[in-house]
Amino acid sequence: MRDEAPTRMIWREDCSFSRKRRIELCPLRAGFWDSIRSGFLKNNNTQVVETPTTLLEDEEPLPQEIVLLERTQSDGIVEQIVFSSAGDVDLYDLQTLCDKVGWPRRPLSKVAASLKNSYLVATLHSITRLPDAEGTERKQLIGMARATSDHAFNATIWDVLVDPSYQGQGLGKALVEQLIRALLQRDIGNITLFADSKVVDFYKNLGFEADPEGIKGMFWFPRF
Amino acid sequence: MQIHTSSFSLPTSTPKPKPFRPIIASSFSISDQDLQSRGFTQHRSSTDLDLDALNTIFARVGFPRRDLTRIRRALDHSSSLLWLSHSKPGEPVAFARATGDGVFNAVVWDVVVDPSFQGIGLGRAVMERIVADLRGMGIVNIALYAEPRVIGFYRPLGFAADPDGIKGMVFSKKNIINRAS
Repeated sequence: MRDEAPTRMIWREDCSFSRKRRIELCPLRAGFWDSIRSGFLKNNNTQVVETPTTLLEDEEPLPQEIVLLERTQSDGIVEQIVFSSAGDVDLYDLQTLCDKVGWPRRPLSKVAASLKNSYLVATLHSITRLPDAEGTERKQLIGMARATSDHAFNATIWDVLVDPSYQGQGLGKALVEQLIRALLQRDIGNITLFADSKVVDFYKNLGFEADPEGIKGMFWFPRF
Repeated sequence: MQIHTSSFSLPTSTPKPKPFRPIIASSFSISDQDLQSRGFTQHRSSTDLDLDALNTIFARVGFPRRDLTRIRRALDHSSSLLWLSHSKPGEPVAFARATGDGVFNAVVWDVVVDPSFQGIGLGRAVMERIVADLRGMGIVNIALYAEPRVIGFYRPLGFAADPDGIKGMVFSKKNIINRAS
Protein backbone atom coordinates (compact mmCIF):
# COMPACT_ATOMS: atom_id res chain seq x y z
CA MET A 1 0.00 0.00 0.00
CA ARG A 2 1.91 3.00 -1.24
CA ASP A 3 0.73 6.17 0.45
CA GLU A 4 2.33 9.50 0.80
CA ALA A 5 4.23 10.06 4.00
CA PRO A 6 1.95 10.14 7.02
CA THR A 7 0.85 13.66 7.74
CA ARG A 8 0.51 13.15 11.46
CA MET A 9 1.85 10.39 13.63
CA ILE A 10 0.29 10.32 16.99
CA TRP A 11 0.21 7.72 19.69
CA ARG A 12 -2.20 8.48 22.45
CA GLU A 13 -5.02 7.00 24.34
CA ASP A 14 -8.64 7.61 23.85
CA CYS A 15 -9.15 9.46 27.12
CA SER A 16 -12.84 8.94 27.41
CA PHE A 17 -13.39 5.26 27.31
CA SER A 18 -15.92 5.27 24.53
CA ARG A 19 -16.48 3.35 21.38
CA LYS A 20 -16.27 6.50 19.30
CA ARG A 21 -12.86 7.30 18.16
CA ARG A 22 -13.07 11.05 18.48
CA ILE A 23 -9.67 12.57 18.62
CA GLU A 24 -9.34 14.08 22.04
CA LEU A 25 -6.42 16.05 23.23
CA CYS A 26 -5.03 14.44 26.31
CA PRO A 27 -2.28 15.93 28.39
CA LEU A 28 0.79 14.43 26.86
CA ARG A 29 4.00 13.80 28.58
CA ALA A 30 6.96 11.54 27.98
CA GLY A 31 7.04 8.50 30.16
CA PHE A 32 8.47 5.03 30.43
CA TRP A 33 7.48 4.11 26.89
CA ASP A 34 9.23 7.15 25.53
CA SER A 35 12.30 5.00 25.30
CA ILE A 36 10.58 2.52 23.02
CA ARG A 37 10.29 3.82 19.53
CA SER A 38 8.43 2.00 16.86
CA GLY A 39 10.06 2.14 13.51
CA PHE A 40 7.67 4.70 12.08
CA LEU A 41 7.80 7.17 14.96
CA LYS A 42 10.75 9.10 13.70
CA ASN A 43 9.80 12.74 13.68
CA ASN A 44 9.69 15.08 16.65
CA ASN A 45 5.94 15.55 16.52
CA THR A 46 5.44 12.24 18.22
CA GLN A 47 4.41 12.30 21.80
CA VAL A 48 3.65 9.42 24.03
CA VAL A 49 1.05 9.18 26.71
CA GLU A 50 2.08 7.62 29.95
CA THR A 51 -0.31 4.97 31.09
CA PRO A 52 -1.68 5.35 34.57
CA THR A 53 -0.45 2.25 36.33
CA THR A 54 -2.14 2.44 39.68
CA LEU A 55 -5.17 0.20 39.82
CA LEU A 56 -7.34 -0.64 42.75
CA GLU A 57 -6.95 -4.14 44.13
CA ASP A 58 -8.72 -6.63 41.85
CA GLU A 59 -9.73 -3.88 39.48
CA GLU A 60 -9.42 -4.90 35.88
CA PRO A 61 -8.24 -2.14 33.58
CA LEU A 62 -10.66 -1.23 30.84
CA PRO A 63 -9.86 -2.40 27.34
CA GLN A 64 -8.36 0.41 25.37
CA GLU A 65 -8.23 1.70 21.90
CA ILE A 66 -5.22 3.59 20.75
CA VAL A 67 -4.81 5.41 17.49
CA LEU A 68 -1.33 4.44 16.38
CA LEU A 69 -1.24 6.55 13.30
CA GLU A 70 -3.40 8.63 11.07
CA ARG A 71 -2.72 9.57 7.52
CA THR A 72 -4.61 11.36 4.80
CA GLN A 73 -4.22 10.03 1.32
CA SER A 74 -4.11 12.26 -1.72
CA ASP A 75 -7.72 11.38 -2.51
CA GLY A 76 -8.83 12.79 0.81
CA ILE A 77 -9.42 9.44 2.43
CA VAL A 78 -8.31 9.41 6.04
CA GLU A 79 -6.85 6.17 7.36
CA GLN A 80 -6.30 5.40 11.02
CA ILE A 81 -4.48 2.39 12.37
CA VAL A 82 -6.06 1.53 15.67
CA PHE A 83 -4.85 -0.83 18.36
CA SER A 84 -7.42 -2.41 20.63
CA SER A 85 -7.18 -4.82 23.54
CA ALA A 86 -10.92 -5.41 23.56
CA GLY A 87 -10.52 -8.51 21.45
CA ASP A 88 -13.29 -7.81 18.97
CA VAL A 89 -12.30 -10.22 16.28
CA ASP A 90 -14.51 -11.29 13.46
CA LEU A 91 -13.61 -14.93 12.88
CA TYR A 92 -13.88 -14.67 9.12
CA ASP A 93 -11.72 -11.54 9.06
CA LEU A 94 -9.16 -13.44 11.10
CA GLN A 95 -9.30 -16.37 8.74
CA THR A 96 -8.70 -14.02 5.81
CA LEU A 97 -5.75 -12.51 7.64
CA CYS A 98 -4.28 -15.93 8.41
CA ASP A 99 -4.68 -16.87 4.76
CA LYS A 100 -2.78 -13.72 3.77
CA VAL A 101 0.20 -14.59 5.95
CA GLY A 102 0.10 -18.18 4.73
CA TRP A 103 -0.89 -19.94 7.91
CA PRO A 104 -2.74 -23.25 7.56
CA ARG A 105 -6.44 -23.04 8.23
CA ARG A 106 -7.79 -24.25 11.53
CA PRO A 107 -11.40 -25.15 12.38
CA LEU A 108 -13.30 -21.95 13.13
CA SER A 109 -14.91 -23.41 16.22
CA LYS A 110 -11.48 -24.11 17.66
CA VAL A 111 -10.23 -20.66 16.72
CA ALA A 112 -13.26 -19.18 18.47
CA ALA A 113 -12.53 -21.23 21.58
CA SER A 114 -8.86 -20.28 21.56
CA LEU A 115 -9.76 -16.59 21.48
CA LYS A 116 -12.37 -16.98 24.17
CA ASN A 117 -9.85 -18.77 26.39
CA SER A 118 -7.14 -16.18 25.82
CA TYR A 119 -6.51 -13.64 28.54
CA LEU A 120 -5.95 -10.80 26.11
CA VAL A 121 -6.67 -10.55 22.43
CA ALA A 122 -5.17 -7.52 20.76
CA THR A 123 -6.01 -6.28 17.30
CA LEU A 124 -4.86 -3.77 14.74
CA HIS A 125 -7.52 -2.38 12.49
CA SER A 126 -7.25 -0.03 9.56
CA ILE A 127 -10.15 2.35 9.57
CA THR A 128 -10.66 4.41 6.50
CA ARG A 129 -13.07 7.28 6.50
CA LEU A 130 -14.37 8.67 3.27
CA PRO A 131 -14.57 12.46 2.97
CA ASP A 132 -18.27 12.23 2.14
CA ALA A 133 -21.11 13.78 4.12
CA GLU A 134 -21.76 10.73 6.27
CA GLY A 135 -18.10 10.01 6.90
CA THR A 136 -18.55 6.38 5.87
CA GLU A 137 -16.14 4.13 7.67
CA ARG A 138 -14.56 0.91 6.55
CA LYS A 139 -12.85 -1.23 9.15
CA GLN A 140 -10.32 -3.91 8.24
CA LEU A 141 -8.46 -6.29 10.53
CA ILE A 142 -4.77 -5.98 9.73
CA GLY A 143 -3.11 -7.48 12.75
CA MET A 144 -3.67 -9.63 15.79
CA ALA A 145 -1.81 -10.98 18.77
CA ARG A 146 -3.08 -12.83 21.79
CA ALA A 147 -1.82 -13.89 25.18
CA THR A 148 -2.84 -16.74 27.43
CA SER A 149 -2.29 -16.33 31.15
CA ASP A 150 -3.06 -17.56 34.62
CA HIS A 151 -4.25 -14.02 35.40
CA ALA A 152 -1.66 -13.68 38.11
CA PHE A 153 1.94 -14.54 37.30
CA ASN A 154 2.63 -15.70 33.77
CA ALA A 155 1.47 -14.82 30.27
CA THR A 156 2.49 -16.32 26.95
CA ILE A 157 2.07 -14.46 23.69
CA TRP A 158 0.93 -16.47 20.65
CA ASP A 159 -0.03 -15.92 17.06
CA VAL A 160 1.40 -12.49 16.32
CA LEU A 161 0.41 -11.60 12.81
CA VAL A 162 0.33 -8.52 10.59
CA ASP A 163 -1.17 -8.24 7.12
CA PRO A 164 1.75 -8.45 4.66
CA SER A 165 0.67 -5.23 2.93
CA TYR A 166 1.02 -3.44 6.26
CA GLN A 167 4.33 -4.96 7.27
CA GLY A 168 7.54 -2.99 7.35
CA GLN A 169 5.93 0.04 8.98
CA GLY A 170 6.58 -0.77 12.61
CA LEU A 171 3.03 -1.93 13.24
CA GLY A 172 4.04 -5.37 14.46
CA LYS A 173 6.30 -3.74 17.01
CA ALA A 174 3.54 -1.39 18.12
CA LEU A 175 1.12 -4.29 18.39
CA VAL A 176 3.42 -6.28 20.65
CA GLU A 177 4.48 -3.21 22.65
CA GLN A 178 0.87 -2.35 23.41
CA LEU A 179 0.08 -5.93 24.30
CA ILE A 180 3.01 -5.98 26.71
CA ARG A 181 1.88 -2.70 28.18
CA ALA A 182 -1.63 -4.08 28.70
CA LEU A 183 -0.20 -7.13 30.44
CA LEU A 184 2.06 -5.05 32.68
CA GLN A 185 -0.89 -2.85 33.55
CA ARG A 186 -2.63 -5.97 34.78
CA ASP A 187 0.43 -6.75 36.90
CA ILE A 188 1.44 -9.86 35.00
CA GLY A 189 5.09 -10.03 35.87
CA ASN A 190 6.29 -12.85 33.62
CA ILE A 191 5.65 -12.29 29.91
CA THR A 192 6.91 -15.06 27.67
CA LEU A 193 6.73 -16.29 24.12
CA PHE A 194 8.24 -18.82 21.73
CA ALA A 195 9.87 -17.29 18.70
CA ASP A 196 10.81 -18.80 15.36
CA SER A 197 14.54 -18.36 14.78
CA LYS A 198 13.80 -15.73 12.11
CA VAL A 199 12.03 -13.41 14.51
CA VAL A 200 14.19 -13.79 17.61
CA ASP A 201 15.89 -10.45 16.86
CA PHE A 202 12.55 -8.73 16.38
CA TYR A 203 11.56 -9.73 19.90
CA LYS A 204 14.99 -8.93 21.31
CA ASN A 205 14.47 -5.37 20.14
CA LEU A 206 11.24 -5.32 22.08
CA GLY A 207 12.91 -6.33 25.32
CA PHE A 208 12.69 -10.11 25.20
CA GLU A 209 15.63 -12.27 26.12
CA ALA A 210 16.22 -15.76 24.75
CA ASP A 211 17.23 -18.47 27.23
CA PRO A 212 17.49 -16.15 30.22
CA GLU A 213 19.93 -17.72 32.69
CA GLY A 214 20.05 -20.75 30.44
CA ILE A 215 16.35 -21.50 30.86
CA LYS A 216 15.20 -23.24 27.70
CA GLY A 217 11.89 -23.45 25.95
CA MET A 218 10.95 -27.08 25.39
CA PHE A 219 8.15 -28.64 23.37
CA TRP A 220 6.50 -32.04 23.68
CA PHE A 221 7.30 -34.20 20.65
CA PRO A 222 7.54 -31.36 18.13
CA ARG A 223 7.08 -32.42 14.54
CA PHE A 224 10.61 -31.31 13.65
CA MET B 1 0.16 -29.88 12.52
CA GLN B 2 2.40 -26.91 13.15
CA ILE B 3 3.88 -25.75 16.34
CA HIS B 4 2.04 -22.52 16.96
CA THR B 5 4.66 -20.02 17.90
CA SER B 6 4.55 -16.32 18.45
CA SER B 7 5.93 -15.65 15.00
CA PHE B 8 4.27 -13.79 12.19
CA SER B 9 6.63 -15.09 9.58
CA LEU B 10 5.52 -17.48 6.92
CA PRO B 11 5.91 -21.16 7.70
CA THR B 12 8.56 -22.46 5.37
CA SER B 13 7.47 -26.04 4.97
CA THR B 14 4.24 -27.90 4.52
CA PRO B 15 2.94 -29.17 7.83
CA LYS B 16 3.38 -32.91 8.23
CA PRO B 17 0.84 -34.89 10.18
CA LYS B 18 2.09 -35.66 13.68
CA PRO B 19 2.70 -39.34 14.41
CA PHE B 20 -0.20 -40.78 16.35
CA ARG B 21 0.74 -41.42 19.94
CA PRO B 22 -2.07 -43.15 21.77
CA ILE B 23 -2.69 -42.23 25.37
CA ILE B 24 -2.50 -45.50 27.25
CA ALA B 25 -2.89 -45.31 30.99
CA SER B 26 -0.70 -48.36 31.44
CA SER B 27 2.10 -46.52 29.71
CA PHE B 28 2.59 -44.32 32.77
CA SER B 29 5.90 -45.13 34.43
CA ILE B 30 4.07 -45.57 37.73
CA SER B 31 0.49 -46.75 37.29
CA ASP B 32 -2.47 -45.19 39.07
CA GLN B 33 -2.75 -48.38 41.07
CA ASP B 34 0.89 -48.25 42.14
CA LEU B 35 0.57 -44.64 43.20
CA GLN B 36 -2.41 -45.51 45.29
CA SER B 37 -0.82 -48.56 46.88
CA ARG B 38 2.17 -46.42 47.83
CA GLY B 39 -0.17 -44.08 49.65
CA PHE B 40 -0.44 -41.23 47.15
CA THR B 41 -3.73 -39.58 46.26
CA GLN B 42 -4.18 -37.79 42.94
CA HIS B 43 -6.05 -34.50 42.82
CA ARG B 44 -7.03 -32.57 39.73
CA SER B 45 -8.72 -29.68 41.43
CA SER B 46 -7.33 -27.16 43.86
CA THR B 47 -10.36 -27.16 46.14
CA ASP B 48 -8.72 -29.20 48.89
CA LEU B 49 -5.28 -27.82 48.31
CA ASP B 50 -3.65 -26.05 51.21
CA LEU B 51 -2.20 -22.97 49.52
CA ASP B 52 0.14 -22.22 52.37
CA ALA B 53 1.56 -25.73 52.09
CA LEU B 54 1.98 -25.20 48.34
CA ASN B 55 3.79 -21.95 48.99
CA THR B 56 6.07 -23.77 51.41
CA ILE B 57 6.94 -26.46 48.91
CA PHE B 58 7.67 -23.73 46.35
CA ALA B 59 10.02 -22.09 48.85
CA ARG B 60 11.71 -25.44 49.60
CA VAL B 61 12.64 -25.95 45.96
CA GLY B 62 13.80 -22.37 45.54
CA PHE B 63 10.80 -20.72 43.91
CA PRO B 64 9.73 -17.37 45.32
CA ARG B 65 7.01 -17.36 47.98
CA ARG B 66 3.94 -15.72 46.53
CA ASP B 67 0.89 -13.89 47.70
CA LEU B 68 -1.82 -16.46 48.48
CA THR B 69 -4.59 -14.50 46.77
CA ARG B 70 -2.58 -14.47 43.58
CA ILE B 71 -1.80 -18.16 43.87
CA ARG B 72 -5.54 -18.79 44.23
CA ARG B 73 -6.18 -16.71 41.11
CA ALA B 74 -3.46 -18.50 39.18
CA LEU B 75 -4.87 -21.91 40.10
CA ASP B 76 -8.40 -20.84 39.19
CA HIS B 77 -7.17 -19.83 35.76
CA SER B 78 -5.00 -22.82 35.01
CA SER B 79 -6.50 -25.09 32.41
CA SER B 80 -5.07 -28.17 34.01
CA LEU B 81 -3.53 -29.00 37.34
CA LEU B 82 -2.48 -32.08 39.22
CA TRP B 83 -1.13 -32.61 42.70
CA LEU B 84 -0.35 -35.59 44.84
CA SER B 85 -0.88 -35.81 48.55
CA HIS B 86 0.48 -38.47 50.91
CA SER B 87 -0.23 -38.84 54.59
CA LYS B 88 -1.34 -35.26 55.22
CA PRO B 89 -4.52 -34.44 53.31
CA GLY B 90 -4.40 -31.08 51.59
CA GLU B 91 -0.63 -30.99 51.66
CA PRO B 92 0.93 -31.43 48.24
CA VAL B 93 4.04 -33.55 47.83
CA ALA B 94 4.10 -33.07 44.07
CA PHE B 95 2.44 -30.46 41.87
CA ALA B 96 2.17 -29.22 38.32
CA ARG B 97 -0.20 -26.96 36.43
CA ALA B 98 -0.70 -25.76 32.88
CA THR B 99 -2.15 -22.66 31.27
CA GLY B 100 -3.31 -22.23 27.71
CA ASP B 101 -6.18 -21.65 25.36
CA GLY B 102 -7.70 -25.07 25.83
CA VAL B 103 -7.51 -26.09 22.16
CA PHE B 104 -4.13 -25.36 20.58
CA ASN B 105 -1.44 -24.42 23.08
CA ALA B 106 -0.50 -25.13 26.66
CA VAL B 107 2.43 -24.18 28.86
CA VAL B 108 3.30 -26.22 31.94
CA TRP B 109 4.39 -24.24 35.04
CA ASP B 110 5.43 -24.79 38.63
CA VAL B 111 6.43 -28.44 38.45
CA VAL B 112 7.57 -29.25 41.99
CA VAL B 113 8.24 -32.27 44.18
CA ASP B 114 8.79 -31.87 47.90
CA PRO B 115 12.48 -32.58 48.59
CA SER B 116 11.62 -35.39 51.01
CA PHE B 117 9.73 -37.14 48.21
CA GLN B 118 12.17 -36.59 45.40
CA GLY B 119 13.95 -39.38 43.59
CA ILE B 120 11.09 -41.87 43.55
CA GLY B 121 9.50 -40.88 40.25
CA LEU B 122 6.77 -38.52 41.43
CA GLY B 123 7.85 -35.68 39.17
CA ARG B 124 7.63 -38.00 36.23
CA ALA B 125 4.28 -39.36 37.40
CA VAL B 126 2.83 -35.86 37.62
CA MET B 127 4.24 -34.72 34.27
CA GLU B 128 3.04 -37.81 32.39
CA ARG B 129 -0.46 -37.28 33.70
CA ILE B 130 -0.60 -33.56 32.99
CA VAL B 131 0.55 -34.19 29.44
CA ALA B 132 -2.07 -36.93 29.09
CA ASP B 133 -4.74 -34.57 30.42
CA LEU B 134 -3.75 -31.88 27.92
CA ARG B 135 -3.69 -34.35 25.07
CA GLY B 136 -7.10 -35.52 26.15
CA MET B 137 -8.27 -31.95 25.52
CA GLY B 138 -6.86 -32.23 22.02
CA ILE B 139 -3.84 -30.06 22.70
CA VAL B 140 -0.61 -31.24 21.17
CA ASN B 141 1.41 -28.04 21.39
CA ILE B 142 2.66 -28.40 24.95
CA ALA B 143 5.55 -26.22 26.01
CA LEU B 144 7.45 -25.37 29.14
CA TYR B 145 10.49 -23.46 30.38
CA ALA B 146 13.22 -25.61 31.88
CA GLU B 147 16.16 -24.53 34.00
CA PRO B 148 19.42 -26.01 32.73
CA ARG B 149 19.60 -28.64 35.49
CA VAL B 150 16.18 -30.09 34.66
CA ILE B 151 16.40 -30.20 30.88
CA GLY B 152 17.52 -33.82 31.29
CA PHE B 153 14.43 -34.56 33.39
CA TYR B 154 12.06 -33.38 30.64
CA ARG B 155 13.81 -35.06 27.72
CA PRO B 156 12.79 -38.66 28.49
CA LEU B 157 9.25 -37.34 28.97
CA GLY B 158 9.24 -36.39 25.31
CA PHE B 159 10.24 -32.74 25.50
CA ALA B 160 12.78 -31.26 23.11
CA ALA B 161 14.62 -27.97 23.59
CA ASP B 162 14.65 -25.36 20.82
CA PRO B 163 13.05 -27.53 18.13
CA ASP B 164 14.00 -26.13 14.77
CA GLY B 165 15.62 -23.18 16.46
CA ILE B 166 12.45 -21.97 18.18
CA LYS B 167 13.55 -20.00 21.25
CA GLY B 168 11.75 -19.51 24.50
CA MET B 169 11.95 -15.82 25.35
CA VAL B 170 11.09 -13.77 28.41
CA PHE B 171 10.36 -10.07 28.61
CA SER B 172 12.49 -7.94 30.86
CA LYS B 173 12.02 -4.22 31.38
CA LYS B 174 15.71 -3.81 31.86
CA ASN B 175 16.23 -5.00 28.30
CA ILE B 176 14.49 -1.96 26.86
CA ILE B 177 17.22 0.07 25.22
CA ASN B 178 17.02 3.80 25.27
CA ARG B 179 17.49 4.83 21.66
CA ALA B 180 18.19 8.26 20.33
CA SER B 181 15.28 9.41 18.13
